[in-house]
Amino acid sequence: MVSRKKFDLGPMLKPKSVAVIGASHDSEKVGHIILQNYINGGYSGRLYAVNKDASSKILGIDVYTSIMKIKDRIDLAVIAIPAQMVPEALEECGKAKVKTAVVVSGGFSEVGETELQNEIVRIADRYGIAMLGPNCLGVMDPRSRVDTLFLPTYKLSKAQIGGVSFVAQSGAVGSTVLDLISGEGFGLSKFFSYGNAAQVDEVDILEYLMNDDETKVIVMYIEGIKRGKEFIEIAKKITKIKPVIVLKAGKTAAGASAAHSHTASLAGSYEAHDAVFRQFGFVIANDISELIYYSKIFAYESEPSGGRVAIITNGGGTGVLTADAVSSTKHLTLAEFSGATKKILTASMPKLVNIRNPLDLAGDADSKRYGDAIAAVAGDQNTDIIAVIVLFQTPGADSEVAAELIKIKQTANKPMIVISIGSEYTQMHKIMMESGGVPVFDSPLSAATALEGLLDYGNYKKAVA
Amino acid sequence: MFMQMEYFKAKKILDKYGIRSIDSAYVDSFEEAVGFSAGKPIVLKVISDKELHKSKAGLVKTGLAGRESISKAYTELKKKAEHIKPYKIIAQKMAENGIEIILGGRDDPQFGKLVLIGLGGIYVEAFRDFAIRVCPISRYDAREMIAQLRSGGVISYKGKSEKMLEDMLLKVSSLLVDNQDIKELDLNPAIIRETSYDVVDIRVLV
Repeated sequence: MVSRKKFDLGPMLKPKSVAVIGASHDSEKVGHIILQNYINGGYSGRLYAVNKDASSKILGIDVYTSIMKIKDRIDLAVIAIPAQMVPEALEECGKAKVKTAVVVSGGFSEVGETELQNEIVRIADRYGIAMLGPNCLGVMDPRSRVDTLFLPTYKLSKAQIGGVSFVAQSGAVGSTVLDLISGEGFGLSKFFSYGNAAQVDEVDILEYLMNDDETKVIVMYIEGIKRGKEFIEIAKKITKIKPVIVLKAGKTAAGASAAHSHTASLAGSYEAHDAVFRQFGFVIANDISELIYYSKIFAYESEPSGGRVAIITNGGGTGVLTADAVSSTKHLTLAEFSGATKKILTASMPKLVNIRNPLDLAGDADSKRYGDAIAAVAGDQNTDIIAVIVLFQTPGADSEVAAELIKIKQTANKPMIVISIGSEYTQMHKIMMESGGVPVFDSPLSAATALEGLLDYGNYKKAVA
Repeated sequence: MFMQMEYFKAKKILDKYGIRSIDSAYVDSFEEAVGFSAGKPIVLKVISDKELHKSKAGLVKTGLAGRESISKAYTELKKKAEHIKPYKIIAQKMAENGIEIILGGRDDPQFGKLVLIGLGGIYVEAFRDFAIRVCPISRYDAREMIAQLRSGGVISYKGKSEKMLEDMLLKVSSLLVDNQDIKELDLNPAIIRETSYDVVDIRVLV
């Protein structure tokens, strides 16, 4: 495959000027919703509306009949008009020297209109426009308040500002994850839904995110990779710098029919993608929920020095379940406390606490007991990771425990996560702890899965360093 | 559609990369097979483009010792192979016991040459326990591939044959990279022992 020009996606995510082509008075129309979202979102750049037939203002914004009539240089054109009209609009964007375009309109290769899609790629290439889509939700950046998503804001909660960037080929998976992220303490850096990937594709997006200082963690949902060799090249580089979590669809797709070798019957397209992800240090998620768990662990924690986990709990049963979850992973083990740690714990814990891992602090454990136990284990040379279980249903656990964990976390020199399982009262404390920098998981298995991902990525980075 | 490379041409390529495959020869009569055996037990198998699953189709006869059993097996194979003409019958020395693995390769349209290792022989499809990487691979990749297998500890004899397996993978990777015309490769099974191995079946598609 011929290597091709690189696109600068900067103006798409941080535009000083945005034009919505297809802005409409009709509140049901996509163009109206997008414009409305820009206004609601508080976008502070220069905003323009373009509509061939409109004259008066839309939502208080001046309307132009063509982008060429705008006397400003446009960084981002959002195109939301019927597919057949896109080539002409894009041509005008080119003449107006628009830098980037997001084509949200559908009706291209996904419905067999491949020639129409090729035509808009030719136009974009001719004028050097970086074009995302077509058939996509586009981009979101809570810092620059760019939001091309045509989903009404009341249906989709907005994520906080943070360090996780999410790249999804599918708009449906993309908006689901976006909605889920809003309930998590870690926030969003960039969102890309790139649809048909006619021109700008996952390789361009990864290249941009690799160099984006606001992005700490990259999360991808992929259906298929277009440029395999280029993908491998960027994959090699990017995972040395920041973690990439990937969910690949199509596990069940039928393999090559009538394979003539055993290898071909085993190594289908899904398996080849999986091999590339593993080889170059991606963290592979098996489900949407795993995307969230991995996002969380990588957003909050650095790679551990090893896989020995200490479990501190205020519930015996949940401690055992967590020990089981840890042991069921391939690379995590239960820490064996050192003699010195045992001594400290024996001196500081009440008699009813058995000094062993999992360390059961009992149901009346308060912030003092948690604090003492965690401090001892944090100094333990045989422990790499601390998993603290706080069941808020117990008599001793309250906001003081949560506050204590936030305090300890600030000086902890090893990954420390919390497992809290429960409803409203627990959720309230989850939000509190996550705002304070402590990642909270809702089950032993999700915590163990996330921790193993963190460990494996750390080991990969060491191996390729 | 790809063409199957002639067995001994493929075997020569393996030789060049230091990948050991079992002594073999085409035989045109049971007398020739007896001659090849020279008193030691042998295997007879039918090679045809039309049959991938040789042992499942009863096209492999193992542990043949002595004139009588070789003659009987040869006649049976000829009869069974009637419907998959053209075919050839190959005689091979019996490999010592060990664990059957598969080593393989494929030219992927997206990512290029892939190399594979897994539990082999009749277990390939039953357990689907395999690991894949893109060529060329490093020793780290080879080690990770073996570690990824559920059967990793078994096929590496708890690590004793680990280095040998890694070397085999690295050799297969080089072979695939150097020979761009090879579209698919099956070394299945390769019989692994603690300190030695034999590839007992080769299939190369070009």
